Amino acid sequence: MNFKQAVREIIKRVTFIEILKGMALTLSRMFSRAVTIQYPKERRKIAPGFRGLHALARHPITREPKCVGCGLCATICPSQCIKITRANGKVEGYEIEVLRCIYCGFCVEACPYGAIAMTENYEYSDYSRQALLMTKDKLLANWDKYMAGEKGKEYFKKFWRPMSEDMGTPVNQAKGRGNAS
Amino acid sequence: MGIFENIISPAALDSLIKFGIDVGIILIKIVVVLGVALLHVAYATYFERKVIGHMQVRLGPMRVGPHGLLQPFADGLKLFFKEDVMPSEADKPVFYLSPIIFMAAAMTSLSFIPYTGNFMIADVNVGLLFLFAMSGLGVYGIFMSGWSSNSKYAFIGGLRSTAQVISYEIAMGLSLVGVMIMAGSLNLSDIVKAQENSTFGIFAIPQIIGFIVFVIAAVAETNRTPFDLPEAESELVAGYFTEYSGFRFALFFLGEYIGMLIMASLCTICFLGGWTIPWYITKILPFLSYVPGIVWFLIKVYAFIFFYYWIRATVPRYRYDQLMGIGWKILIPVALANILVTGLVKILW
Repeated sequence: MNFKQAVREIIKRVTFIEILKGMALTLSRMFSRAVTIQYPKERRKIAPGFRGLHALARHPITREPKCVGCGLCATICPSQCIKITRANGKVEGYEIEVLRCIYCGFCVEACPYGAIAMTENYEYSDYSRQALLMTKDKLLANWDKYMAGEKGKEYFKKFWRPMSEDMGTPVNQAKGRGNAS
Repeated sequence: MGIFENIISPAALDSLIKFGIDVGIILIKIVVVLGVALLHVAYATYFERKVIGHMQVRLGPMRVGPHGLLQPFADGLKLFFKEDVMPSEADKPVFYLSPIIFMAAAMTSLSFIPYTGNFMIADVNVGLLFLFAMSGLGVYGIFMSGWSSNSKYAFIGGLRSTAQVISYEIAMGLSLVGVMIMAGSLNLSDIVKAQENSTFGIFAIPQIIGFIVFVIAAVAETNRTPFDLPEAESELVAGYFTEYSGFRFALFFLGEYIGMLIMASLCTICFLGGWTIPWYITKILPFLSYVPGIVWFLIKVYAFIFFYYWIRATVPRYRYDQLMGIGWKILIPVALANILVTGLVKILW
């Protein structure tokens, strides 16, 4: 260390210049706008396509779940929180343990029929594990609550390209094969 | 009157009545000062949370009342109704006594502070020494609480606090010796009056070194960040009052915030001119001399308290050996040199 550096070091120590710089910063921040919000009163805007609580899509005409029980969602699920039971060729039980879910959205992506969706609801805390085990009825009710009408119709087209559109035979090649949605 | 004359002469009765009135006035003054001090503590916590919140780009308390203005009362109520937990292995009498010693020492100091030219509870000729003595007594409360809790965290916190407060008290006392030399008195009102008549109006300008040493020592003396090692959360839970809860915790809290108020008042009186403003300011803006002295006093005190919060929001905690190094190797020699120079100037001028 030469003489000049030593003098600079001494000046730095004596004048607390670094502490003063820090204090100037905190003072300037004091007069800036707070970044936090008053949560229950104010809420952040939810981005379109938010991945919140799950819902099972209901067919608009038959009012039945679109799910056929193929099990693709249960297979791809990284946390293995989807359990499907079938009886007599029909989906009897469809359960999601939302406490285990990581909200990756693979199930929605995997579903060829657009039968499972993720709603914008993120406030569903509860006191028991049982209350947070989403059964088929609860998931269908979620659909009615958050995805009814136009919203549910547009949802898959807007945020998820249904696999049927990618993998299905192009319409001009095989006439008569319907669109899965 | 006839009956009394047999027992007490009219002259003695007169002086007795006078004495009674004096006592009454002092009692009223004590009630006013204590009431204001307690209210101050309540809102100092609110002020602190708001200031630190905004410095951290948060909002601070917002829920209780408009902008959280009633938060101190909610906190106070909560503390009163909390369970008073006591460690089963604690040394009970000492455990009960220590928060009271701590708070009483802090509150006693309030009575020696001249708030304005004519409002103080006790105008003592050794006021400055008395303030030192009281802040020294407060250490007993801290150490006894740490000892009697029978908990390693409280014990280490108490030890640290004792060592820290004693070391920094030396630096603080020495930094004020310069002020004593310049004012030629230990009476706090005389110190303020000496500043009013001095060249610079406040002692903070000629005694700038003493002022800086005092500010650093005052922060350390009240165990505030960056010198809050006695209550270092990450190491010692809460330090010496780890085992205290409910009302007893509130007493420590009160003592700490009153300690801050006293340090701020001491700084105001000894370095910033107390209830007066420098003569050159009144010369430029003459209308300011109509503002009552208590306003200037409070502005200066709260500016210093704001400085406490500002430091807390900015500087991280020192290491323990750094803390001791600053106290013994830097502040005390600097303060001694300051005394030497001040004394020489005083003799030669």
